[in-house]
Amino acid sequence: MLRKASFLIISATIWLTSCTKDPINNLSDSESQVFSTNHDKSVDFKTFKTFSISDSVTVVQNDRSVKALTSLDKDLLTRIITNMQQLGYTYVAANKKPDVGLSAARVTNTYLNVGSTPYSSYWGGYYGGYGYGYPSYYTYETSESFWSVSMLDLKNADATKQLNVIWDAQIRGNGIGNSNYIDGMVDSLFGQSGYLKIN
Amino acid sequence: MKKLIVAIFLLAGTFPAFAQEQAPKLYTLPSPFDRYTHYQVTARYTGAVPLGSFSSNYIDKSSFENYSIALEWVFQNAFSVGGELGYSFFNKRLPRAIYSTDQGDISAVQTRTLTQYPVQIFANYHFLGKNAAIQPYVQLSGGGSILDYTVYYGSLANQYQKIRPTYGIGVGSKFLFKKDGNFGADIRIKYEGTSLDYDYVDKGVSSLNTSIGLFYRWW
Repeated sequence: MLRKASFLIISATIWLTSCTKDPINNLSDSESQVFSTNHDKSVDFKTFKTFSISDSVTVVQNDRSVKALTSLDKDLLTRIITNMQQLGYTYVAANKKPDVGLSAARVTNTYLNVGSTPYSSYWGGYYGGYGYGYPSYYTYETSESFWSVSMLDLKNADATKQLNVIWDAQIRGNGIGNSNYIDGMVDSLFGQSGYLKIN
Repeated sequence: MKKLIVAIFLLAGTFPAFAQEQAPKLYTLPSPFDRYTHYQVTARYTGAVPLGSFSSNYIDKSSFENYSIALEWVFQNAFSVGGELGYSFFNKRLPRAIYSTDQGDISAVQTRTLTQYPVQIFANYHFLGKNAAIQPYVQLSGGGSILDYTVYYGSLANQYQKIRPTYGIGVGSKFLFKKDGNFGADIRIKYEGTSLDYDYVDKGVSSLNTSIGLFYRWW
């Protein structure tokens, strides 16, 4: 009798554990997308007027990075410019001493620490020898592809002798390599960062 | 010799008569389910309504994805004890919103889930006999719940898994399909609570569960 009882319990366990399901398999691409933004709360963005943007996107993959400018990358950079202008910033060339600099990266690495993301290659040309200062809260880990957009304080770089990341944003989820979503995704990043507005 | 044959004939006649008289007496003996401790297995399907702060802070949507199986020892007195193994799944999808955290702001479609595999022992007190067509009972249960709390932000998950204490109190009734039969139905209304203090759920998981079940009993 006991044997019969244990058999019932074992069968029940197998039956119950087979019920595990995926609650997000019915999410559409746009529903699956996550926009996360963070900023240095000590910074008053109204002190900045001009901006520039790197002329290519950094592609980071397994500790290696290259520069790229696909049509998708162009769409992304263009939309960042549009959003910055709408927030009241003036777009200037990188050699015209912009107050803030923006750069974007396509990261397809696993367990990447932000400290290894090479934002410097572009801005390093103008601020050679400066280190990069990241706010202490600025850490994340990942096991997927995502877009990363960062804003650096160039105006105060001479005084602090480092390039501080004052705003950063990531786009994760499905369909983030689809050009149809680029404008909407970039708009979301800036849309949820109202503190960037200076006009 | 002749007398012996007559005696055998007479006895042959009386034995069947004797057996016929005994048969109704045998039949009126109490049922084996009354005479012996017996076993009962019950499979239940449950609808669960979230209650309290679990409902107001996390998921207020009723769940119809709950199942359980129970094995029970029914004693000759009014009590029975047993074990029940369950599966319960609550979920709720929220439209896109911005969530402020220590790590910054996150804009996402949130999918809240709570999965439990409660493993409990229980004691029932039955108000009527083992062969009554309707057998109301009250139930107390306690045990542990293998719990999975996962909040999805889009496709990203914040997961927490733990075994937490769980308990329940319920009323129900068994309905025999036929007198002395092995099969029957079971209806139960039960309050279940599981302790949990994590993220959105700070005062435990509680729900009111209504289940319908089928049982088989044997001895």
